[in-house]
Amino acid sequence: MDKALLIQLLGSALAVALLVGLAAWARLARPTAPLDQEAARRLLADEFPDHRIDAVWIGGDSASVVARSADQALVLWRKGDGYVARSAPWRDVAAAGVVDGRVRLAAVDGAPRLSLGDRAWPPAEAAA
Amino acid sequence: MKPAFDPVQMAIPFFVIAIVLEILLARFGKARANYEPRDAATSLMMGLGSTIAGLVTGGAVFAASLWVWEHRLFTIPMTAVWAWVVLFFAEDLTYYWFHRLSHERRFWWASHVNHHSSTHYNLTTALRQTWTGGVAGTWLLWLPLSLLGFPPAMVAIQKGISLVYQFWIHTEAVRRMPAWFEAVFNTPSHHRVHHARNARYLDANYAGILIIWDRVFGTFIPEDDAEPCRYGIVRNLPNFNLFTNVFHEWIGIGKDLAGSRSPREVLGYLFGPPGWSPDGSRETSHTLKARWRAREEGKGEANSTLPHP
Repeated sequence: MDKALLIQLLGSALAVALLVGLAAWARLARPTAPLDQEAARRLLADEFPDHRIDAVWIGGDSASVVARSADQALVLWRKGDGYVARSAPWRDVAAAGVVDGRVRLAAVDGAPRLSLGDRAWPPAEAAA
Repeated sequence: MKPAFDPVQMAIPFFVIAIVLEILLARFGKARANYEPRDAATSLMMGLGSTIAGLVTGGAVFAASLWVWEHRLFTIPMTAVWAWVVLFFAEDLTYYWFHRLSHERRFWWASHVNHHSSTHYNLTTALRQTWTGGVAGTWLLWLPLSLLGFPPAMVAIQKGISLVYQFWIHTEAVRRMPAWFEAVFNTPSHHRVHHARNARYLDANYAGILIIWDRVFGTFIPEDDAEPCRYGIVRNLPNFNLFTNVFHEWIGIGKDLAGSRSPREVLGYLFGPPGWSPDGSRETSHTLKARWRAREEGKGEANSTLPHP
């Protein structure tokens, strides 16, 4: 690798670090208030507009949602200042194991770990 | 191997200054912009990685262009103004079809998807470039220009100019340009639609510099202020991992091919629209838009049956 290219790459890496630092300092992330039923249902309507929501469970940290829609589980969890949405069969999600106060949804693509807090799993709100 | 005059290299300081300005203006409430530091870091690292990946495949791509140009149909002088004018339109039309192919066929989407995986729309998103474009072979689409007689360096410069133009349109800080500009050129408003994951906005506004191609080929959708753009891809990625961003769709193709049971399935998984599946159980842009239309029509019918006050 020639010297000029190496300098260019190192300079670019430094610029990346400085720009990310500036973005962190500026605190320009979208506001993401803790989820309540209303906010959760609004998010679910955006992500799953064709599903009828039977019941909504909100995680112990108010940053995740598991909703039941017939035999499907609709799952939302926080990533940065937004949410990731996935669906999976309800029976697989309900059968997920709990470790250290978190339920790990292995049946969901991305295998999120949702905080339970003082909540029970599987959610009583969505019992069959 | 690149031409001595590389618009993208020359524009890098401008890119950095523009991002700094966007952040500062947003910080002090003078412009609209949202930044999530990990998202911005991913975008910028992808830009840096794309430059390195380009060094690996760039030589072969330029050599192929040179070989084709040596077998050219006409000799087009690089110094003629008319040649630059013709190339401007020809390259931009090529870009439109490259971009459309990159969205509507999975093999090329696998390379392009990482430009769309950010859930933010700011100037760093513009630098979230592919690492696998050389492998995906989309550069082949530009070879006819060299076959016609445009020197490869001239084509490379025009491609660079297009890329530099497309930097500034990745922003929420600019709401609308003057009407005449919006009618002819690709703008932040048009390109916000392109990066949106709302069903109504999918597969639209593929333009590079001129939005006229979308208007001609029926892929233009204007931004509707009543439905703000939600950015990202239909199934947003579960993490900020750089390598997940770069390779997730290629890995998905590999898994699907491993489970294929017929040549039809192989071809469908490779060259069908993103989301294609043999039994139609997955979602494509087409099915998502069809369901959105059905919902809209349902709303319309419901409204029309309401009693008048």
